[in-house]
Amino acid sequence: MSSPGLSNRVRRLRFDHGEMTQQQLADKARVTRQTIIAIEAGKYAPSLPLAFRIARAFNTTVEDVFRYDDGVEDAPGRSD
Amino acid sequence: MNVLQKRAWVELVLMLVCVAIAAAGLAFLVRTNAQGLLYVGTSVVVAAITGLVGYLHNVRSAAGFDEREKSILRKAATLGGYAFALAVGCASFVAFFVVGGGGSVSVYVLPATFLGALLAAQFVQSAAILIQFVREQADE
Repeated sequence: MSSPGLSNRVRRLRFDHGEMTQQQLADKARVTRQTIIAIEAGKYAPSLPLAFRIARAFNTTVEDVFRYDDGVEDAPGRSD
Repeated sequence: MNVLQKRAWVELVLMLVCVAIAAAGLAFLVRTNAQGLLYVGTSVVVAAITGLVGYLHNVRSAAGFDEREKSILRKAATLGGYAFALAVGCASFVAFFVVGGGGSVSVYVLPATFLGALLAAQFVQSAAILIQFVREQADE
């Protein structure tokens, strides 16, 4: 269920947002607290919709919450 | 312990109880040499356990699990499917090697094989759910 190269700042963001509890985040993201625990520990890679819901709970973007590093640099000539 | 874990435990225990009751019932019928009752008893046991497994599956499918729990359930169900195929395959080969290519087996072998494979699948599925949760918690 975990995905190599995927890291996240969920724990950091929770504390930056008034020490939000795992249960409060779970309620906002409509999952169980165990799922938040698994995501924070890097044991579970969330789906895209769940990643967006978590990012919205922190009023930020998905890329600010999750980071993916597969060791491959972006292709040359990529405009974005 | 969340809902999925609790249900996996309940199913696991129920499966073992059903197997124990079925084995005791059939042993009694065979011991008393009640041929007519044996057929009826076997049918009732098969129907009851099959109905129970179906009921449990429906109850579990209807529950509102989140995506991680569904993922755990999906993996466990896949393993259960493998267990079912393996059990049917093994039973077929055992029957083949016991009675030989030209022999014949009782008509009761087929439902017994199906029931046994169903129980094996359910057992593996429940155990796989619990093992996945245990492994996850061990890493925390």
